[in-house]
Amino acid sequence: MTFTDDLAALRQRALAALDETTDLPEVQAWERATLGGKGELTGLLRGLGRLSAEERPEAGRAANMVKVELTEAFAGRQRVMAAADLRDRLATDAIDVTLPGRQPAVGTLHPVTEMIEELSEIFALMGFQTVYGPEVETSHYNFDQLNIPSDHPARDVWDTFLVEGEGEVVLRTHTSPMQARVMESTTPPVRVVVPGRCYRFEAQDASHEWAFHQLEGLAVDERITMADLKGVLREMARQLFGGDRRIRFRCDFFPFVEPGVDFAVDCSVCDGKGCRVCKYTGWLEMGGAGMVHPNVLRAAGYDAERYTGFAFGLGIERLVMMRHGVDDVRAFAGNDLRFLRQFAGGI
Amino acid sequence: MRWLEEIVPTGLEPRELARRMTMAGLEAERVEEVPAGWDNVFVGLVTRVDRHPDADRLNLVDVDAGEHKLRVVTGAPNIAEGQRVALALAGARLIDPYTESPTPVYKTLKPGKIRGIVSEGMVCSERELGLSDEHEGIMVLSEDAPVGAPLKAWLGDTVIEFEITPNLVHAFSIVGIARQASALTGADVRVPRRVDLHTLPGSSDVVAVDDVDLCPRLAGAVVTGVTVGPSPEWLQRRLVHAGLRPVNNLVDITNYVMLEFGQPLHAYDRRRLAGGRIVARRARPGETLETLDHQRRDLTGDMLVIADAEKPVGVAGVMGGVDSEVADDTTEILLEAAAFDMKAIRRSRTTLRLRTDASARFERGLDPNLPGDGIARALSLILAVCPGSTVTAFQDVYPEPVLPWHVTLPVSRFERVLGVAIPEPTIEETLTRLGFAPSFEGDGGERRLTVTVPTERRDVTIPEDVIEEVARVVGYDTLPETLPSGRLPAIDRALDVDWQRAVRRRLAAAGASECISYPTVGAPDLASLSGGTFDEATLVGVLDRRPAVDLLTLVNPIQAERPYLRNTLVPSLLALAAENRKHETRVALFEVGSTFRPVQGQELPDEVATLALVMSGARAVTDRFAAAGTLDYFDAKGVLESALGVDTLSAPLVFVAAEQPLPFLHPGRTADLRLGDRQVGVIGELRPDVARSVGFEDARVAVAEVDLRALFAARVTRPTGKRVPRFLPAQQDFAIVVDRSVSADAVRDALAAGAGALATGMTLFDVFEGEQIGADRKSLAWRVTFEAPDRALTDAELVKTRSRIAKVLKQRVDGVLRG
Repeated sequence: MTFTDDLAALRQRALAALDETTDLPEVQAWERATLGGKGELTGLLRGLGRLSAEERPEAGRAANMVKVELTEAFAGRQRVMAAADLRDRLATDAIDVTLPGRQPAVGTLHPVTEMIEELSEIFALMGFQTVYGPEVETSHYNFDQLNIPSDHPARDVWDTFLVEGEGEVVLRTHTSPMQARVMESTTPPVRVVVPGRCYRFEAQDASHEWAFHQLEGLAVDERITMADLKGVLREMARQLFGGDRRIRFRCDFFPFVEPGVDFAVDCSVCDGKGCRVCKYTGWLEMGGAGMVHPNVLRAAGYDAERYTGFAFGLGIERLVMMRHGVDDVRAFAGNDLRFLRQFAGGI
Repeated sequence: MRWLEEIVPTGLEPRELARRMTMAGLEAERVEEVPAGWDNVFVGLVTRVDRHPDADRLNLVDVDAGEHKLRVVTGAPNIAEGQRVALALAGARLIDPYTESPTPVYKTLKPGKIRGIVSEGMVCSERELGLSDEHEGIMVLSEDAPVGAPLKAWLGDTVIEFEITPNLVHAFSIVGIARQASALTGADVRVPRRVDLHTLPGSSDVVAVDDVDLCPRLAGAVVTGVTVGPSPEWLQRRLVHAGLRPVNNLVDITNYVMLEFGQPLHAYDRRRLAGGRIVARRARPGETLETLDHQRRDLTGDMLVIADAEKPVGVAGVMGGVDSEVADDTTEILLEAAAFDMKAIRRSRTTLRLRTDASARFERGLDPNLPGDGIARALSLILAVCPGSTVTAFQDVYPEPVLPWHVTLPVSRFERVLGVAIPEPTIEETLTRLGFAPSFEGDGGERRLTVTVPTERRDVTIPEDVIEEVARVVGYDTLPETLPSGRLPAIDRALDVDWQRAVRRRLAAAGASECISYPTVGAPDLASLSGGTFDEATLVGVLDRRPAVDLLTLVNPIQAERPYLRNTLVPSLLALAAENRKHETRVALFEVGSTFRPVQGQELPDEVATLALVMSGARAVTDRFAAAGTLDYFDAKGVLESALGVDTLSAPLVFVAAEQPLPFLHPGRTADLRLGDRQVGVIGELRPDVARSVGFEDARVAVAEVDLRALFAARVTRPTGKRVPRFLPAQQDFAIVVDRSVSADAVRDALAAGAGALATGMTLFDVFEGEQIGADRKSLAWRVTFEAPDRALTDAELVKTRSRIAKVLKQRVDGVLRG
């Protein structure tokens, strides 16, 4: 057998073997057995050195041609096999995309918290700073500074929780004490909102809760008017309920404002035509408001001739109830996860 | 409504009137037809009464009601020919008189047979019609009742119930409401007839005032020849519609006038007044009085009483006494009308815990000029209702009559307050219709308005009051809507609140849901956390431990068993978690709220922003990927670390085994959170027995409480941005064998010290105990990330670091590197 015969036989055998490979590992094994350092072709090529000088160039050229041919054949076969392999993998990896995803445990914020944050942001856009005050409050701030002297029948409107002890200390019945506290510590212009929890000694039912949240608003300056109050409240209603909302003022009495009103916004569900949410009145009652009583301005050391101001207060739980059709205020303190989760996406 | 229309004929539908009054500040809470129903009930004339052939107690009665002429069977003993009665036909809805239910139970009348005789309708008692509790006999109507007319048209009415806010005492009467309605509609007020007090025989021996401060006015009239009996039907009806129970003609008239004019009155049986006269004075020590509600009351020296020559006969402005009450045989009365100091009346009724229709009016501050109208109206009614009666003496002690006052304001003030100018003619017309006397003076921009205020309007004293009077009638819907102009105040963000908001969001992102629980606690919440018993000496709290007696306590808690304001959120949150656990496989709840810590010598308590966390149940909601196991200490610790550990604090936040475990926590599974030397939190699992007693069936319930205020205070910097290294990090694992008693934190600290500055991250990934490493030993495995900002680390460097680590571990924690 000559070198050339051996080469031809090897070429034939190798190409046949390559044809018989069925997957990528087999192709790679063929490459090692044929072209690798210890492979058949490499072994044969070592025999070139034993040939005579005349034979060597011709044999070398032939051997090289076979090597190139086998290398290309290998690359081609490898591509085919890799493609087949990928095809197989994609096929076996297919999933039922309708199976549920892996759920990271995610909690929720309380809807009262969400509403307070939303309101704070709305009022911040109108230049109001959010401030906070104590829940346990002196009757001085809860009543006296707000034009509600002791022995005044107006004190009965707020059924007050009293705290045992020397001084007259109460659970605040409204967020209004912060009106006095803020005015005492700042000079006009004043624009603040005060969210917080308030307490009134009331029997609980679907619309009454003894521990509830309010948001108080206060603006004092040289040119604050009741029209401004109406405008600010309308802006809030527009942001909260969307659309072009209307505000209704009705005369009402709160000792710390004069004139005093209760305010309502036209129902965004029915556009004021009357529906279940607004109890067929067309209006959603939001809270009380008015122009800061001169006695309150004076008690805080402000010049009541020079400054005017408005104040308003609204119930947070009520607002969530109106906007989301919640019909029982007790759900908020109930903290049932089945209720809380309904607002997981924000309110 | 009939009563009101008599005084001010507005001609408006009741609901429309109610709406307009509400917009103007007199809130109509209820508009109701009274009594409800009454369809198919007519005024009938009894034309014939026969005995029932088969029953002694029953009568057969022919009733003529115009179109309807019926024969009915009745058991009423008082039936007689010629009576006008209420005849109900089949289909009428009547109140079932035989139920004990406090709310009326209605039934629909059907024709039926009574003892064999067909009854085609029914003659009704007052109770069946909802007029009173009277069911002894049928209701007999007055002779002028029109036979055949629907009873509704004859007796029915519409009742509007107004909510009278404390400032509206002038509208706390039919006449007062009428004045408001007049201002809104323009209809004139016709004040009901009163006697002319000047024509009465004057006297100086009817009334006397000892304390003018508390009783600025006391008027009394002696009426002789009165006959006590039932009031006329119309008067009774109006009282019933107003929610009062008719008693007798004299008492009814005092009540009627109180409703009509707003002035409470009292009638005494003069024979039972020692000395036949009354005096307004303070109660004397030890005096008592049995009031009309048959309670013996102890009187105190700051109470004003009405007394005869010997003893108190009434608590002024609140309630009269039983002894001098008008009785069936009374023939001579002393009628009293007075003005009292509002604060004194409020004090009396608060002390006595006795709220009456009279006190409700007096404590709001009645017009001292009102007693004159009130007594004049009552006398006119008494003289009309008791023929033959005469006023024999009248005295009015009113040393300092209150006169109308003035309020002056620049006309421009309307615009400054309302944001819109009101034309002077509108101001003038509105105020005049409301009973004020306005006048304008000055010119140009300096026009001033002076308003003379009628004495009944004690709520109008400052310019803003006048502005409201005009605005509420003109209507707030005419106000423009503007946004405040002028300077904006500088705004400081509340950084602590912003940070709390971030913490809440991180907690929610870590899988916990926010709750807002009640701030009151007591034995039901605290007993199970203190070994089952609870008294005032029991130590309460988590971060703030103190005896219950030192907690802030409510005088009037909503639940008697929960009088304390909490100094920890844990009990309330545990209760919510246990409740939720009944229907949830996984419960993770948190609350951020105030805890209240009383401070010696300080009026208000310290309110501390506090975080509590409770986790229990399955680690993940059951699904096909579910992570095995139940929530425990490490879940809660992980949530706290991810919510709080990402902040840059003045000292590292570390968890150290609690030296003095709280009694309700598992002693081997609780830690203190420390920030430097300061304890800022507690975390642990409930003891299994405590978990059961607070309502969990789970073996493990993890709880934590953290002082957020302290954490915020320690939050020194916002993180400084560092350049990301250009070279890839190297990672090496270290398995370290130490004695079991050595804490993981101690090993980590030693590892970190040995690794030096090149170590930028360390994660513990395995804890192993077993024979291979020896008894009482444990192996902790960390993966450490090494990187340098300026170069790729060489193997040589890493080898050197490793040997340094081995040395430091040996020295500090007697640790050995494995493998």
